[in-house]
Amino acid sequence: MTKPASLPMAEGPYPPSEAALAEPVPQAEQQRGAEELRAAWKTPEGWRYVTAVNNSEVGKWYALTALAFMLIAGVLALLMRVQLAFPDMTFLDADRFNQFFTMHGSAMMFLFAVPMFEAISILLLPAFLGARDMPFPRLSAYGYWCFLIGGCFVLGSLLFDAAPKAGWFMYPPLATKEEGIGPDVWLLGLSFIEVASIAAAVELIVGALKCRPPGMRVNIMPLYAWYVLVVGGMILFAFPPLIAGDFLFELERSFDWPFFDPTRGGDPILWQHLFWIFGHPEVYIVFLPSIAIAAMIVPTVAQRPIVGYSWIVLSAVGTGFLSFGLWVHHMFTTGLPQISLGFFSAASEAVVIPTGIQIFAFVATLMVGRVKLTLPMLWIAGALAIFVAGGLTGVMLAIVPFNWQVHDTYFIVAHLHYTLFGGMVFPVIAGVYYFYPFIAKKLLSERLGLWAFWLIFSGFNITFLPMHLTGLMGMPRRVFTYPESSGWGWLNLISTLGAFIIAAGFAVFLYDLLRPKKAQGEIPRNPWGAGTLEFSHEVPEEAWGVRSVPHVTSRYPLWDQPQLVERMDAGRYYLPDAPDHQRETIVTSVIDAKPVHVQRVTGPAWITILAAGFTGGAFIFPTFHIYTPAIICGAFAIVCIMYWLWTSTARPPKEEMRDAGLGLRLPTYASGPDSVGWWAMWITMLGDATAFASVVFGFFFYWTARSDFPPEGALHPMGHWVVLAALAGVAAWALTLAAREANVRSKVALARAALVLAPLAAGVAGVAAWAAVRDLDPTSHVYPAILWALMVWLVAHLSAGVLMQGYCLAGSVFGKLTPRHDADLRNVTLYWHFMAVKALVTAAILGLAPGWLA
Amino acid sequence: MSDIRDEEDAHEFRAEALSLWRITFSPLIWAVHFVTSYGATALVCAKGGVGAVALLRLGISIGTVFALALILWLAWGAWRQWDLRRDRAWENDAGTSEDRHQFLGHAAFLLAVISFIGVVYVSLPVLLIGGCG
Repeated sequence: MTKPASLPMAEGPYPPSEAALAEPVPQAEQQRGAEELRAAWKTPEGWRYVTAVNNSEVGKWYALTALAFMLIAGVLALLMRVQLAFPDMTFLDADRFNQFFTMHGSAMMFLFAVPMFEAISILLLPAFLGARDMPFPRLSAYGYWCFLIGGCFVLGSLLFDAAPKAGWFMYPPLATKEEGIGPDVWLLGLSFIEVASIAAAVELIVGALKCRPPGMRVNIMPLYAWYVLVVGGMILFAFPPLIAGDFLFELERSFDWPFFDPTRGGDPILWQHLFWIFGHPEVYIVFLPSIAIAAMIVPTVAQRPIVGYSWIVLSAVGTGFLSFGLWVHHMFTTGLPQISLGFFSAASEAVVIPTGIQIFAFVATLMVGRVKLTLPMLWIAGALAIFVAGGLTGVMLAIVPFNWQVHDTYFIVAHLHYTLFGGMVFPVIAGVYYFYPFIAKKLLSERLGLWAFWLIFSGFNITFLPMHLTGLMGMPRRVFTYPESSGWGWLNLISTLGAFIIAAGFAVFLYDLLRPKKAQGEIPRNPWGAGTLEFSHEVPEEAWGVRSVPHVTSRYPLWDQPQLVERMDAGRYYLPDAPDHQRETIVTSVIDAKPVHVQRVTGPAWITILAAGFTGGAFIFPTFHIYTPAIICGAFAIVCIMYWLWTSTARPPKEEMRDAGLGLRLPTYASGPDSVGWWAMWITMLGDATAFASVVFGFFFYWTARSDFPPEGALHPMGHWVVLAALAGVAAWALTLAAREANVRSKVALARAALVLAPLAAGVAGVAAWAAVRDLDPTSHVYPAILWALMVWLVAHLSAGVLMQGYCLAGSVFGKLTPRHDADLRNVTLYWHFMAVKALVTAAILGLAPGWLA
Repeated sequence: MSDIRDEEDAHEFRAEALSLWRITFSPLIWAVHFVTSYGATALVCAKGGVGAVALLRLGISIGTVFALALILWLAWGAWRQWDLRRDRAWENDAGTSEDRHQFLGHAAFLLAVISFIGVVYVSLPVLLIGGCG
């Protein structure tokens, strides 16, 4: 057997000795490195600025766009508060009020809270990790443009009086029966944005795992990185059920497949399950990264390391897990068995423990430190006060009888705003004040900040504290008006006044944020005396992220490694230059952050904007039931993405090794688990498998919930076609695996032959799956409909798999993929591992389940 | 001077590549216990006969004991990895492989504690509520 080709490995001294670090860098060398880096990381100017993909630019756009969407959603809230100020107001009619509360909730969650997490993380995570950029800058840019297009589309529907109006959770049958395009705007527009969220999650997880600076082991990485890991993982398991739900929902809206229609065997409760399996973790997806900002601010304010680092890690990971066991507490009134309600009540109480632990850790840190009450700390203090109040009403709501009592009243509105303002809005504003010097190289005004804080803090409590009482007195949510005899009038008036005080506070904050600050001059580099790497940034700004990637040995390197910044600036550490004027960052091992290789990162491009535009078309046209342009857009989006991958990722490098500084030589190409692309594929497939599992869950849900599933005398899929689909699917996987093994042993012809046969086998699998359910009528009953849905899901994934196999074949023919440089083929094989499981599970359900269930 | 190819701690910490995953094992047991209990209850309440609920309560109780035993076993391993009795350092905040090793033990131990509490909480409804209702 031929020996497998292997890539070179890192060589040279590591960790760097003190002597090597102490040796000064010659002036000429420093200048050369700085100039090369400046050329490589130059931000495009003029109208080409929009092609920038650097995390500092994309992060800023992302954050500002999310802020703009938040302000729009906030204005909707103000208008609703005007309508509710007095009994029997006619400021808004019922229909418009419905549109407004639906869009207020949807926009705050999908267009502000989650994207804001992504924006802040894209902006800050590389700086926390002393990395040059995220591993996939173009993916961030693509995600941003998708978000912008999707957000404008969804919010734009308000201007045409066509916005969705069934509430932010779109319950069927109200939403499936709703006239007009409102629900389609919601489903397709937000699915589009969910895809962008998953892209960001992949990017952030890989960033936190693989792009840490040398020496930053898992026990010393900034707590923010821990939170990002947890939240990224949560997005992967929380968003896919919603995407699966959207898929079923849109099939019902567009093609009348009766997933949620009880007259034909469907069940609206399935949507509630899928929505809240997403919806509750979502709350923690919003909360954890914001409290992570507090975990960065508190040690700086206390001027000492965080107390109980391990406890906070426990808190983040524990909350991440437990938050998946809470979803039914939104469904306590749907008539589920009492024991089932008990499980979710118990888990809802249990999640308080890890959530509380981190707050105690912050308080402990502040108690043992020497606290200076800075503006960021003031906002954090406000956040903790409000969040604790919201958490306590949460404990009350987790108790089933109390929950029944206040279900769908203003008590819930008060509770959720307390948790979201305390858990998200306040910490994020604290973060804006704290990180503004890093982001904008300017400081925000102390005086305006105090005004903004006291206006928002008092306005918030004036608005939402009375709502507890309004709710207990019986005012239901979502009513557009109420009679005078109800006695809620004065409470509503107070809430409306409070809402305008909040708005005034935001106006002050916004003015401070956006006003020109030219007169301020140059600010100090580390104005708060922080200990983490982001405050080693350069003032005035340089686009390269860090001048050289440091070797880190402490949780607070700026406090504990006295000469660190000086040496970073001199280019003493790793990657201090860019001889080829290429953007690069250093990739390290997952646990101990040992240098593994140098990763080329992609630069400015139009292709990402083009790809996002076409993807937008593919999602937006179907809203209006126009399918041909949608398919054309989808095809162009795929072409754009393939072009972008082909031209700028995983190309065999000119030089196999690169001098990384301090005598260390690192490979410039990686394949398999060493490479960031492999991790991205792995993580994406986990999310995809979750979505698939959600559709499969739907099948079994119908079986438990309905006695007519499958209906008597129903047609079943044809057994021989099902068997053929399973066999051909497995054959396509085996051939892909064979191609990888043949290729790495330099048997290129054999590998290419396997890559020609593999798509054929996949094609057979797809056709056989279709033939198996061809005679079933998906509009007649939910049983054939869910089988068709599984078939459509399988065929779509097989098609993607075929494109990937073709991509590898082309790569092999045109010299992009060689026996040594086989990253693409390894990633595609990983995709096919998942694909084989999906084919087998689908075949088992199509072919075997009817027999078992009968 | 040490070289990047040296695996100085390879013997001592060989299993470390797994240990980032290992801290999630106890919460995963909680998750499996939770989903199984919920799924079994949904199934029994929808399809089960008269005596099925008693069987369900027994089944979940056995599952709970089993899950708690597994978590205790993981907690014991994590406690030994944390090594608090020999090495009184709580923070494990140095950039050394020993501190990283002990930190992961500490985190896994704390997660085992919270998972233990979580499993106990989730099993309470089965003890306290007698029927599907």
